[in-house]
Amino acid sequence: MEKNSLLIDDEKLLKENGFNDHFHEHHHDEDPYQSNFFSKYVFSMDHKMIAKQFLITGMFWAVIGAAMSVIFRMQLGFPEESMTWIKPLLGKWIVVDSAGVGHLATEFYYALVTMHGTIIVFFVLTAGLSGTFSNLLIPLQIGARDMASPLLNMLSYWFFFLAGVIMFLSLFASTGPASGGWVAYPPLSVLPQASSGSGVGMTLWLVSLTFFVVSVLLGGINYITTVLNLRTKGMSMWRMPLTVWSFFITAIIGLLSFPVLVSGFLLLMADRSLGTSFYLSEIFINGQALDNVGGSPILYQHLFWFLGHPEVYIIILPAMGISSEVLSTHSRKPIFGYKAMVISIASIAFLSFLVWAHHMFMSGMNPFISNFFVIFTLIIAVPSAVKVFNWISTLYGGSIRLNTAMLYAIGFVSMFISGGLTGIYLGNSAIDIQMHDTYFVVAHFHIVMGVAAFFGMFAGIYHWFPKMYGRFMNETLGKLHFWGTMIGAYLIFWPMHYLGLAGVPRRYYSFDVFDTFSQFQSLNAFITVVAICTFFLQIVFIANFFHSIFFGKKVTSKNPWKSNTLEWTTPIMPGHGNWPGNIPTVHRWPYDYSKDGFDYIPQIQPPLEGETTESH
Amino acid sequence: MSDHTTVVEAHHEVDYGPAWQGGDQPLKSGYGKLMMWYFLLSDAFTFSGFLIAYAALRFSSATWPEADFVFSTFPGGFHHMPLIFVTVMTFILILSSVTMVRAVQEGKEENQKGVVFWMGLTIIGGLAFLGCQAWEWNNLINEESVTLYTNPFSKYDADGVYINADGSEGETFKAGTGYIIHKHHGEWAPKKYKVTSGPEAGKVKSQVFGPREFGALFFIITGFHGFHVFSGVLFLLIILLNVVSGIYKKRKNGYEMVEKIGLYWHFVDLVWVFVFLVFYLL
Amino acid sequence: MAHLTYEESKKAVVKGLIFLGIITIVEVAIALLAKGHLIEGFHLNKTFYSILMAVFSMVKALFILGEFMHLKYESKGLRVGLAVPFILLLWGVIAFSHDGNSFQERRARSADQHPAEVPPVSEHHDVKHLPEH
Repeated sequence: MEKNSLLIDDEKLLKENGFNDHFHEHHHDEDPYQSNFFSKYVFSMDHKMIAKQFLITGMFWAVIGAAMSVIFRMQLGFPEESMTWIKPLLGKWIVVDSAGVGHLATEFYYALVTMHGTIIVFFVLTAGLSGTFSNLLIPLQIGARDMASPLLNMLSYWFFFLAGVIMFLSLFASTGPASGGWVAYPPLSVLPQASSGSGVGMTLWLVSLTFFVVSVLLGGINYITTVLNLRTKGMSMWRMPLTVWSFFITAIIGLLSFPVLVSGFLLLMADRSLGTSFYLSEIFINGQALDNVGGSPILYQHLFWFLGHPEVYIIILPAMGISSEVLSTHSRKPIFGYKAMVISIASIAFLSFLVWAHHMFMSGMNPFISNFFVIFTLIIAVPSAVKVFNWISTLYGGSIRLNTAMLYAIGFVSMFISGGLTGIYLGNSAIDIQMHDTYFVVAHFHIVMGVAAFFGMFAGIYHWFPKMYGRFMNETLGKLHFWGTMIGAYLIFWPMHYLGLAGVPRRYYSFDVFDTFSQFQSLNAFITVVAICTFFLQIVFIANFFHSIFFGKKVTSKNPWKSNTLEWTTPIMPGHGNWPGNIPTVHRWPYDYSKDGFDYIPQIQPPLEGETTESH
Repeated sequence: MSDHTTVVEAHHEVDYGPAWQGGDQPLKSGYGKLMMWYFLLSDAFTFSGFLIAYAALRFSSATWPEADFVFSTFPGGFHHMPLIFVTVMTFILILSSVTMVRAVQEGKEENQKGVVFWMGLTIIGGLAFLGCQAWEWNNLINEESVTLYTNPFSKYDADGVYINADGSEGETFKAGTGYIIHKHHGEWAPKKYKVTSGPEAGKVKSQVFGPREFGALFFIITGFHGFHVFSGVLFLLIILLNVVSGIYKKRKNGYEMVEKIGLYWHFVDLVWVFVFLVFYLL
Repeated sequence: MAHLTYEESKKAVVKGLIFLGIITIVEVAIALLAKGHLIEGFHLNKTFYSILMAVFSMVKALFILGEFMHLKYESKGLRVGLAVPFILLLWGVIAFSHDGNSFQERRARSADQHPAEVPPVSEHHDVKHLPEH
């Protein structure tokens, strides 16, 4: 079909069809929200600025978290090599022996693994991903001036910041940061004498994450209320872009799961500080019996994973929403099965609360009840498969623009498939007897929620960078970044499946004493080399990002991607209130691409002559 | 995509049925009230987390003290009044909820004086509840020596007969009877008894302490609830001051702020229903 | 109370107070009856009693939600939206309780099999040894 470009005068449409909410009559030139440097860039209440704050803080943490993984990968890949050269950074955590060979202190190895997990899961992929894009896109894509409560929105960021400061400080504790794993299982996390990181490091970890939960709840309550109450005229729920749907449901999951983590944490804090024994029972330490009786360490695992499993969907759902939007826009096709996508997100969210104990098959939990968790877990494959099918069908026959954002969205689908399939193995309690706590698990969750979520995030950054900064990111560097990261990620994590199948356990400092694993030494060294290369490749992205903020190619038209959603009807650099005049009204769903001979028809366009009706 | 195709005329606004018209409230509530509801939803999950943990620990314990035996004292030195004091506490909380409802109703009528009066009563109710809780905690800790680590309350799992200091047999008791280990001059004095039923019949045993999670859970969970009551009282006071200052009068929105804090206050009452259920009734 | 007049709603409050008061008294009375305080030697079946108490508490909770928190008069969307999440907890309660119970059975079994290794329930809980730092 011949594709015409519809001549859209969105200025005229906004003026004639827009909705005058008298916003600018109340907010004159003296904008109280952006009057000086501090209220504009620091304590900003503007959702776009808060989104940038979340993004850049998230990037800061991503660098730290990834650098940690490089250090412990060096230990795993080259256990014999001296690490004295890194002593200026790590200080006493590099133990230099009499021969002058420096080794990573074992305690610090565990601290690095713990902090890597905590930082990437919570600070980068929860706050950095959902915090950034929910803030940026929810008001812009539903046609709202800002969040329902800009004040709480600002507080949400600053609680996150506070959590970050505390976590950062814990890295410098003389006994080291928390080192009991990112899941902080008792009794290791309860007893300060259990390990050096279980002392003040663990306390700071708990305080930090409690503030983090406050941040998530403030943000989540805001996102939900904004989506419900602040949609513009015509923006019914079934006309919302999939991005907004996914942020909305992500916020609901967070609202329901994080509080349970808080109750688990409060009991843990009581055990640590008040000496109760909710999680302790019949325990010996340093050859001495403690008088703690009656508690159950498995109870903590239940409470933790009641959050923990929904948390992985808090991470992946925004990436799914972003990828859906990017795939549809850049393949110039309507998203395939819009309603199926929404229903899949909702059912994944619902099921995510029923499956938590599949993380605990080997914990000593009752094996009978495991059966139910297996069944619920395997059911999640259904909505996940629906989504994958829809993404692929969206691509099929499209006029695909292979720019960096699109590459990352496709990369996301690839990663989600590869990592998702191994989830079906691990969800079976019988197979899990062999697989649990091996590198198979590491490979599975790094691909499906680590790399995939990062890819969704990158897709979002490359796609919405023009909206955030009014400039483009460099495409050549972007493609270099994509291909390097894509290949690197697979080369790092694919071999780990083999390690795991052979039974190599995760979280071990060294495999020196296991003859059976010595054959994997070269594979481990290979993984480490690729991990280091991939880590340094990210410099390309960071340089590209910051360089483009100031020197990137300028955006010249309001709608550079020829996209349908509302954020592209705002000025290139929208000010406070997003639309200078009326807010737009919506007349159609967001995926009218290649329809009736038109390349794209934005949501603000009223029905055209001869147009077929809305039929998704 | 559907097969149905309909041609519409240019710029002719089609009727999308009950399509969202924007600028309205789909759930008929302002954003502030919605936010309060969703906050309460999350808080309900915090309490649910606690109560589910309570259930798990109680089920993982071989024995559990009987609530009607533990909570049987009343201020003024009265004993053997099972559950009477906590019933009084429950009534106080219900009453303060009722006065809060009245305050909200007066707010809807834009009646400033009424709001002040009923909110004042609500605050008194909240303080009275906190006072009762303080007495109960004090009684448990200082009189009956239940702490986070110790729980002298338990119950017998078999019939038996007490053995007096001189070796003679004293009173008999049945399985399931509750007991408390008393202190004499600061020393625990568990009583000795002979088992008369079950597989251990004939054995002489002495009273053992009950599951310590009983005390720990009680103090943590009622403490968390009491903390909610306490912060509720603080918020009520702040909003009462605002009511007195007349800033809600100017807003003419039916004292929505009072309604929101009212939701929080009723929520505290709601949680108490379940705390009452698991700690005192079951 | 959106559709009630001011006078009607004032009356409804008094009715609510009486309703909640009666339920609480009935609850306590049944509790005392069930545990043999009212009639010598009479005990109620424990499961039946627990379910009964849970039902009474749900009635009270729903009443507070519906009348005092006005939920009965709010839109259906808000009501459903707030109710659905609690379905998630049903499975939580079952799983947590079941697993707690299983923990107890295993502890008992292990105590039977290795009686010497399990320390007797301490009688000296009053002295709390805080972990040494």
